[in-house]
Amino acid sequence: MIEPSIWAKLHGASTHFPIALMLVSALCDGVSFFSKDAGRRRNSRSVGTVTMVLGALGSYAAVLTGLVMTKGLIWGHAALLHHHQFVWPAFALMTGLATWRMAARAEPSRKSATIYLVLMILSAALVSGAGYWGGELLSEG
Amino acid sequence: MKMALETHALLLSFIVPVISIGSAFAVAIAIAPGALGVQQTEPPPIRPTPAGRALFVQSCAHCHGDDAKGSGDGSDLYGLRISNARIATVIRQGIHGEMPSFAKKYSATDIAALTTYLRTLR
Repeated sequence: MIEPSIWAKLHGASTHFPIALMLVSALCDGVSFFSKDAGRRRNSRSVGTVTMVLGALGSYAAVLTGLVMTKGLIWGHAALLHHHQFVWPAFALMTGLATWRMAARAEPSRKSATIYLVLMILSAALVSGAGYWGGELLSEG
Repeated sequence: MKMALETHALLLSFIVPVISIGSAFAVAIAIAPGALGVQQTEPPPIRPTPAGRALFVQSCAHCHGDDAKGSGDGSDLYGLRISNARIATVIRQGIHGEMPSFAKKYSATDIAALTTYLRTLR
């Protein structure tokens, strides 16, 4: 028999990876976007790709454990509702951006890179919001 | 060729999130058929104590479940076998590592209303 609180623990453990990786990825993309040095641009972009893809993969574990923990609650009330209002758009953006990153192997045009960076910053903000409300659930009930 | 690849990547970038979100919602429905708000079973009758119920929904339901029957890491609150004073103390002080304190969030009147509400759960 699995202890019911195992899912809360797994959710707490798994949810930090996508948050951290997304923020690092956004930072690397920012460096890559603004850097004038070709080598630094390429390296930052590589790190950004790896962290983005790992973060997106980690988000599946976070979402799955969260759903099991709440017995399939998609929205909920109060702080949980706010948490979910950030989680779902962040999840969609993360998986979409990671897919784009994997599928579009070539160096992006300046316009594509700009759109990507804006969406990446939005995604990082959303995942941070999800993390904030997740923390509120623990500290404020 | 490059244009075709970018279009292909863009298309995939829309399809994958749709499938991901769809799969997550499907998992949610598989776990709990009421996840999208479709209540399949009648909730247990609760005698009206509006203030206590409202506070419960606001702060307790996401752990203890909307029906207070327990949800994930929150315990079932039906038929509590502890005194009103003890219930109030637990709400006020929390349980280390398990439940947060509500002392800063709720007044004594609020905690009394919550306690009264919990007493109606039988």
